[in-house]
Amino acid sequence: MEGTGAGIVAAKVVPALKGQTAKQAKAPEAPLAGPALDPSVPHSTIKLTINGQEHRVEVEDRWTLVELLRDHLKLTGTKIGCDRGECGACTVLVNGESAYSCSQLAVWMDGKTVTTVEGLARNGKLDPLQEAFIEHDGPQCGYCTSGQLMSAKALLLKNPHPNRDEVRAGMTGNICRCSNYNHYVEAVLAASGTLAADARRRA
Amino acid sequence: MTPLKTAGKPTPRIDAIKRVTGAATYTADITAPGMLYARVLRSPYPHARIRKIDVSKAQALPGVKTILTYENCDIQWSTGDTRNKRLLFNNPARYAGDAVAAVAAVNRHVAEEAIRLIDVDYEQLPFVLEPEEALKDGAPEIQPGGNLSPNGRGQHEPDKYSRGNIADGFSAADHVLEDSYTTPHINNAQMEIRASMAEWQGDKLIVHASTQGIANCRTDIAKDMKIPPEKVEVICLYMGGGFGNKNQCHDFDLMAAELSRRAGAPVRVEFTRKEDYISVHGRWPTKQTYKIGVKNDGTLTAIQMTAFSGMGPYRKGQGDISGIEVYQCPNVERTTSMIYTNMAVSANFRAPAYPQGVFAIESLMDDAAHKLNMDPLEFRLKNFSRKFQDRTAYSSSGLEDCLRKGAEKFGWRALWRPAGSDSGVMRRGVGMGMGMFPSSLGRSAAIIQVDSKGIYHLHVGVTDCGTGAKTTMGLIAAEALGVPLDRVDVVWGDTDICPYSVGESGSRTTVQTGTAVIEAAKDIQKQIAEKGLPSGSDLLTASADTSPALRDFARYSFTAHFAEVEVDTETGHIRVTKYVAAHDSGRVVNPLTAESQVKGGATTGIGMALHEQLLYDKRTGLPLSAGYYHARVMTHLDAPEIEVLWVESEDAYGPFGAKTLGEPTIIPSVAAVANAFFNATGKRVRDLPITRDKVLRVLSEGALA
Ligand code: FES
Ligand code: FES
Repeated sequence: MEGTGAGIVAAKVVPALKGQTAKQAKAPEAPLAGPALDPSVPHSTIKLTINGQEHRVEVEDRWTLVELLRDHLKLTGTKIGCDRGECGACTVLVNGESAYSCSQLAVWMDGKTVTTVEGLARNGKLDPLQEAFIEHDGPQCGYCTSGQLMSAKALLLKNPHPNRDEVRAGMTGNICRCSNYNHYVEAVLAASGTLAADARRRA
Repeated sequence: MTPLKTAGKPTPRIDAIKRVTGAATYTADITAPGMLYARVLRSPYPHARIRKIDVSKAQALPGVKTILTYENCDIQWSTGDTRNKRLLFNNPARYAGDAVAAVAAVNRHVAEEAIRLIDVDYEQLPFVLEPEEALKDGAPEIQPGGNLSPNGRGQHEPDKYSRGNIADGFSAADHVLEDSYTTPHINNAQMEIRASMAEWQGDKLIVHASTQGIANCRTDIAKDMKIPPEKVEVICLYMGGGFGNKNQCHDFDLMAAELSRRAGAPVRVEFTRKEDYISVHGRWPTKQTYKIGVKNDGTLTAIQMTAFSGMGPYRKGQGDISGIEVYQCPNVERTTSMIYTNMAVSANFRAPAYPQGVFAIESLMDDAAHKLNMDPLEFRLKNFSRKFQDRTAYSSSGLEDCLRKGAEKFGWRALWRPAGSDSGVMRRGVGMGMGMFPSSLGRSAAIIQVDSKGIYHLHVGVTDCGTGAKTTMGLIAAEALGVPLDRVDVVWGDTDICPYSVGESGSRTTVQTGTAVIEAAKDIQKQIAEKGLPSGSDLLTASADTSPALRDFARYSFTAHFAEVEVDTETGHIRVTKYVAAHDSGRVVNPLTAESQVKGGATTGIGMALHEQLLYDKRTGLPLSAGYYHARVMTHLDAPEIEVLWVESEDAYGPFGAKTLGEPTIIPSVAAVANAFFNATGKRVRDLPITRDKVLRVLSEGALA
């Protein structure tokens, strides 16, 4: 039955991908953490920017982006909630747009820019979204939080002053089973400076 | 209520920065050098005997280290079944998803491939999904002794409770109402993926678990691994939710421990989301039939309940059904049968026995009010419980205030009209429900050490599954010590450095561990008064192991929720448009995190009312809706704004009078939404969830309430 072998889907598409990314032949920079790359499995060298830092890494073609981030680059702030595109816990930015990193293969990231929750704070200063998440008690268990933050970030990059309904629509791909939706929405409105306007409109 | 200095004010979580920067380390974030990855093979049939299991191909796959099956592993999982001997791997498999084998390999891909290479020859056995079917003659026997699960004394009998005389109660009634309700299996569906990482250091076992109670988890693991508890360390620093499905040690903790022991390397077991849905547990499905007697003036004379709870094939949960007790009534009879079926296992999910029962009893009470042409609020004000089971006084009760003040905040008097008054395509209506939940006192412990700088190191064995327990414990300590919160350093989540704490189940942490924190604080203050602060690297230590008892009182938290819904009579879609949740949890220690709890619990309950169900294919016995998408959990777009109202009743027990909170939040929400649907349409759906197909059916059939 399904559910006894996740990741098989990813493994099946490997051969088609091999040729697309195998061109860059230069050796990757640093050895990766986590289980060693299996040379008998199709693999590719890719170049990508993560949280402002350039990486040249050799990846198995079956690795998902979240697997590369969590297992091999130790960026465990990005979470896995379902590993099949249903929950949003794994949301990151790819070229500034939100993406489920469980549903992207690492090899597809060649030449792309990825931002994870670890890249939100700048020079030790929290992003306004992070500040607002704390103040409005967005995270309960906190497991969906990285995904909510990245989804909110993608939304504000496109629409810096969303109204309440736009926030809810923009983040609806991010499930929170603690169901702290009210507080997440308020935090995003607060971070975008629209909470006061929203309150006035509703008063 | 005497004002407090530090507690009682909205306070951000002490670990909030870690939670928003990705720095909080959850179980699946933890690795060790040489760690192996493990995956589990599961039965594809609801009931099947394994004739033969061949692991040779899997074993031959390069990178595979260890394989466990029922043939080579007979470790018992004690908390997985409190009545029968449940092993990690069972033959026969008793539900679709029962564990058949586990493989540890060098990486997840190899482990997954190996799972596929295991050949199992199954003999399919007859299966049964419905509790009432399972009781019939000739139904497949799931556990020895029959499908009526035995009580704690080993008797295969239903659970019974009664007071007064039910027959007298019905003869005293002017009206008798009777109806049946069903509620489905619903998965807890906490966001954190199921994981456990175990490693052995000599004869010491270290388990990074995802648990709601490190102390109990440790005792359970020690028992099943047959080693002394001192040889087990359980660590859980951040926990991604559980809602009751991480109370004890779980099979994956034991699998990780045994795989690690055999492989001689650390092992992380991970379940997929689908496995989590079908192979851990969810809320027990119920079929409940009620008969009530009521006088013309609305006085209740009798309540009778006969109910069945489907437990799945293992008795992991209680299976009881609560709700009746929120009503005052002299004659009550309750019979509950806990039944084995070949569905997914049932056990604790946020207020395990309550939302189902409250949905049913509150639906029927609403019908009674309707029949008597009474405002449902008046009916409840007349009949809400004044004494526990009509006998024992409550240590405090804000239930009446929850009803009155909640209704006022909601605007009940302006919004309520008799059921079915609205017409047109979009119809609005309002509904309410009330609930209560035990706020028991009991054993827990805390240690406080003070250093020369006057920093208080508070050791508490909590894990904080999202409740804010760490912050709450810090606030209670700060308040008791009379110092600001930043003088308290909370140490948590590791059995080697924290004393026993009651698990974060039964919503007991604030009350029980909080009480121990206060005692430890008093002790350390006394020591400081006698000896002064320590010098250099010395520490003063105070430890408290408290187990207060309650005499002559019942201690409960109370709540009433009010909902307004809009029903689209063409599509059957229901939208919650207004919601007020009134709660008496005694003193609220941290209103900020407490509000999160209420909003979360109410929202989850709305999902239970309108969407969620683990559906089964009756022909094959296989689950159809495992996973977030198909179970239709609440999303940002579904979630209404919840307004919270605190009714802080004065209670002489608990830390500064705090009572329980986490679980009551979900209890009346299902009923409030169901009753609002009835009020909007004049029709009732008695079979949860209230999905569009059912809405359209009752609207078209003219099935009157
Ligand atoms: S883990 Fe990627 S969507 Fe759930
Ligand atoms: S905070 Fe727990 S899942 Fe969102």
